[in-house]
Amino acid sequence: MCSVVRAAFLCSHFSRKATSLFSPHLRKMVHYQTEPRGRANSPDYRIYFRSSDGTCISPFHDIPLYAADQQEGDVPPKKIKTNEILFNMVVEVPRWSNAKMEIATKEPLNPIKQDVKKGKLRYVANIFPHKGYIWNYGALPQTWEDPSHTDEDTKCCGDNDPIDVCEIGSKVCATGQVIQVKVLGILALIDEGETDWKVIAINIEDPDASSLNSIEDVRKIKPGHLEATVDWFKKYKVPDGKPENRFAFNGQFKDKDFAIEVIKATHIFWKALVMRKKMKGEEIICQNSSLCDSPFRCSDAEARAVLQAVSSDAHEETLRAVLEMLVM
Amino acid sequence: MSFSTEERGNPNTLSYRIYFKSSDGKYISPFHDIPMYADEAQNIFHMVVEVPRWTNAKMEIATKDPLNPIKQDVKKGNLRYVANVFPHKGYIWNYGAIPQTWEDPGHKDNDTGCCGDNDPIDVCEIGNKVCCRGDVIKVKVLGVLAMIDEGETDWKVIAINVDDPNAKDFNNISDVKRLKPGYLEATVDWFRRYKVPDGKPENQFAFNGEFKDKDFATETIKATHGFWKALISQQTNAGELNCKNTCVSEGDSPFCCSADEAKAVVDGVRTLFLLSVNLFTN
Repeated sequence: MCSVVRAAFLCSHFSRKATSLFSPHLRKMVHYQTEPRGRANSPDYRIYFRSSDGTCISPFHDIPLYAADQQEGDVPPKKIKTNEILFNMVVEVPRWSNAKMEIATKEPLNPIKQDVKKGKLRYVANIFPHKGYIWNYGALPQTWEDPSHTDEDTKCCGDNDPIDVCEIGSKVCATGQVIQVKVLGILALIDEGETDWKVIAINIEDPDASSLNSIEDVRKIKPGHLEATVDWFKKYKVPDGKPENRFAFNGQFKDKDFAIEVIKATHIFWKALVMRKKMKGEEIICQNSSLCDSPFRCSDAEARAVLQAVSSDAHEETLRAVLEMLVM
Repeated sequence: MSFSTEERGNPNTLSYRIYFKSSDGKYISPFHDIPMYADEAQNIFHMVVEVPRWTNAKMEIATKDPLNPIKQDVKKGNLRYVANVFPHKGYIWNYGAIPQTWEDPGHKDNDTGCCGDNDPIDVCEIGNKVCCRGDVIKVKVLGVLAMIDEGETDWKVIAINVDDPNAKDFNNISDVKRLKPGYLEATVDWFRRYKVPDGKPENQFAFNGEFKDKDFATETIKATHGFWKALISQQTNAGELNCKNTCVSEGDSPFCCSADEAKAVVDGVRTLFLLSVNLFTN
């Protein structure tokens, strides 16, 4: 294979905006674009977010929790039925992959990055018969499990992260994709002694979405998926030497209404987080572009400066990789 | 003895091919030119990996094409991908074939009551490492499953890569039951249901879906090796199969293929893809 030609192709490919590389799935990202920085599968890899008007945003704080709260010009927000509540979900880990990607709550503008443990990039083990994560996994924006709050049901404090979502549809989404989901139920995981709710949801674009409206529908239409979900969360850290996880409610899934109440509570915790007037030494970065009443709101220029400050951008990394290839 | 591969075309296209070369750089057939045994005294077999664990593209040795490269199966004009049969993702082992074997469609098997599927014998390699398409690895045979796939005999050998860190603990099918609980059950489940999403019925098995042990498996493999020998020596009609090979047939055999002729086969494959780049290979 001609390495010079290959290098030239790569250069021209990456000189376009990062967004156009991923255009097939960007059509689904109606409102948001992603911008990678650093090399994939490396500790400095980051995925930053921009809104449709190009503003640098935080996926934690600037993407509305409720899909109904966003509107693009005159296009009305997506809905299936008038009484259906739709949420935005930020996809972190595509189904069947292993890299533990997550919203970096302690970095400015909260890009997605790969978790690091003991200096090494973290990959989740394959728990037989499962391969990687068994759903598209991610977070609901504008939610936060408050570590100073002891949950009545789990008797444990929050895990200091946005609330987690398992999206059970058939399409494998991409890291950084923002999709609209219907909530179907929730599992009360206690992960290493912290409250770690797992919302069960379905992508509204899924062919089965209209038939899935409750946790009972999941049992009927996707038999075995809920059992596999409990099994996965119970065991997924055992290969790393951790004990099996526990659950509240004996590992039973609670229904949609319960789930929505839990989500609302974490949304309120988040509001308190971004509106508080003084820092109490927490590590969470609340910098955002859009929250009018938040003391942490920053200007467009300040947000852009965050991206510019990141040491190596994708273009530079690619050129470096190309040069390495030519030398080899 | 080592082997290498050469790709033509891009993965996930109709024209993608993986050709094989011997260690001296000459093109060979993975069906006919790679010895069945890696070490006959130790009962170690070669395996040609067609489908890496957890992938879905149905890659296979092209038994009807010259030099039998690996290519993606096509059904009704479409590239074939195996469905994900919950809770499984793609193929649940490294999957491939033992070279120099053949399930003769003219022979009705005593155990299955069915004729052979006209292909080399299939292997499910249960080690932890995800191999690459076209890898030629050495395996220990542990047992065999007697599948009847759409009415044809389709044995599935269970084996482990000799380089697997735990290979020394695996010496028979009972070790698989003990050390990888659930894996054999998952294997039967997978083969039973894997074509159902395509509208086909569930598959059946001889011996009630029970796995036979290593000795039985070894005898089965040897029988398919015998069928292959008859094929390559023209005692059995090859039908549409391409038996061109570079190191098995005598010079006067119509199947004998010189190194130059083999090179001409590979070079003759259209190579429009000099400028293409596999940016997103998985």
